[in-house]
Amino acid sequence: MTSSLRTEGLTKSFGGVTAVDGASIEVLPGKINGLIGPNGSGKTTFFNLVTGMIRADSGRVLYGDREITRYSPHRIAHAGLGRTFQLCRIFPRMTVMENMLVAVRRTRLRELLAGSHDKAEVERARHWLRRVGIDHLESAEGRNLSYGQQKLLELAAVFMGDPELVLLDEPAGGVNPALIERIVTLVRTLNEEGRTFLVVEHNMDMVMGMCDHVIVFDRGAPIAAGTPEVVRNDPRVLEAYLGV
Amino acid sequence: MRSGSRYGLLALGAALVIAYPWLAPNTYLLYAGVLTVMYAVLATSWNLLGGFTGYVSLGHSAFFGLGAYGTGLLVTKADWPWIPALLVSALVVAVFAGLVGVAAVRVRGASFVIVSIALVSMMNLLVQGWRSLTGGSTGLRVPTPFRELNRGESHLVFFYLFLVLLVLALLTWWVISRSRFGSGLKAIREDEDKAESLGVPTTAFKVVAYGLSALFVALAGGLYALWFRSLDPIFVFSILVGSYMVLMSLLGGVRHLFGPLLGALIVAPAGEYFLVALGESQIHLTATGVLLVLVVMFMPEGIIPAVAKLVRRFRPPEASIREETAEQRSKEAVA
Repeated sequence: MTSSLRTEGLTKSFGGVTAVDGASIEVLPGKINGLIGPNGSGKTTFFNLVTGMIRADSGRVLYGDREITRYSPHRIAHAGLGRTFQLCRIFPRMTVMENMLVAVRRTRLRELLAGSHDKAEVERARHWLRRVGIDHLESAEGRNLSYGQQKLLELAAVFMGDPELVLLDEPAGGVNPALIERIVTLVRTLNEEGRTFLVVEHNMDMVMGMCDHVIVFDRGAPIAAGTPEVVRNDPRVLEAYLGV
Repeated sequence: MRSGSRYGLLALGAALVIAYPWLAPNTYLLYAGVLTVMYAVLATSWNLLGGFTGYVSLGHSAFFGLGAYGTGLLVTKADWPWIPALLVSALVVAVFAGLVGVAAVRVRGASFVIVSIALVSMMNLLVQGWRSLTGGSTGLRVPTPFRELNRGESHLVFFYLFLVLLVLALLTWWVISRSRFGSGLKAIREDEDKAESLGVPTTAFKVVAYGLSALFVALAGGLYALWFRSLDPIFVFSILVGSYMVLMSLLGGVRHLFGPLLGALIVAPAGEYFLVALGESQIHLTATGVLLVLVVMFMPEGIIPAVAKLVRRFRPPEASIREETAEQRSKEAVA
């Protein structure tokens, strides 16, 4: 069982706009958790706060028995949290294999000065590339991949860091239905292997079909949480989405 | 290019460089050779930071000047032998660079460029203002460590000393480029936030790269002090020297081991030619500026990638990734 992620009163403002407003949530360990909400409800800002990309004005982020609120992003990655980005981000001028070998799990000097193409690491990279189905592209430069392939590469690279909890920011954004199905299958399989997921997504069919637990954000704070069935029938959620 | 012919070309180039002092027809051309190798060291050292991380420092001459003054002061004021003076001075400069780096690499892009310029300007003011120690704007005279040698022989010795330093800088770049550390640095160049999210301690990596780069630049500065024997703060702390490092690296190709070396082999002799042909006019500065604009406009990747692209054009076309994917899919479908 992986560690649980909790936030307590997490708040972040940009100028006069409060993007995340006292958000307290709990991500269920070992489950696929969904984070949904209308555009501008603070989901991505929440992701950035949890992964240390931006500093919270107040509140706490707790992962297992550790408080990681003030951790830098790389320390959060070492603690076992991996993430993808809303707009797919890879290293475009590096090959697919080089992209895979960037992830740093240990920071001992000897390991850092060791060859980047360590045999065991290359094999691990090939394993993950095979799992996402782009192992035949390992020598290609990232920029020459299609958008869908880049999404898969981004996903595979995250797993090189061996995260317990994976935060996926709109994994289905801009990809075709066949690929969405592939991503869903992969997430389910990895979840069965013991990894926890927190997925921000606008594709409701995907969220409701894949997630065990859904948290709904509106105006920077959670307004509902529960199983997809519970959330779907919650009047506050209907109001936030449909204004009814 | 096949690896056999590549190594052959490399061996030929190395043999020519080693033989250069014996082939140079006069002392002036030997002096120009020393200057060129010194710039090759500076550009290759700059590339340890600029090439790997994409952080463009226009103020690396701060470390050149500090290395030069550090070595000069230890030799003249503390009577240290030249080798310990050179090494200790460079190490102190590297540590100083590391400390400065902790603050400097927090900013990116144009802000980092401005910080680097501010650093060299401050060092210039400090050295010129501390007249009792450094001699101020009149400079510092440094005794030669090779008193028994004449000018030509001294140039020959320093040519090889700079060459050894160049080989060390190239080896360092090569080792880093193949290490996990180098992989992290390249990732910083591509997308720093993404690299950080994958566990790369980006600040620590950048600070180490900054310090290492400064170490080699300071060693070159120390050798310059011992070779040139007269330090002018206006020259050793000039932004122009820093700009040359950037220009040479960009011209040759910042992503390649030999890119800055190639850039130095073109820019340094060209600069000397303009000085000789046109005297003390500032036309060499104009030429440098024009070259920089031309490089950015027409060869933003540098000469080595441009030539490699040209060579690839004459090769039979390779299947694109999408074609490979389609091919694989059709195979999978048949299977």
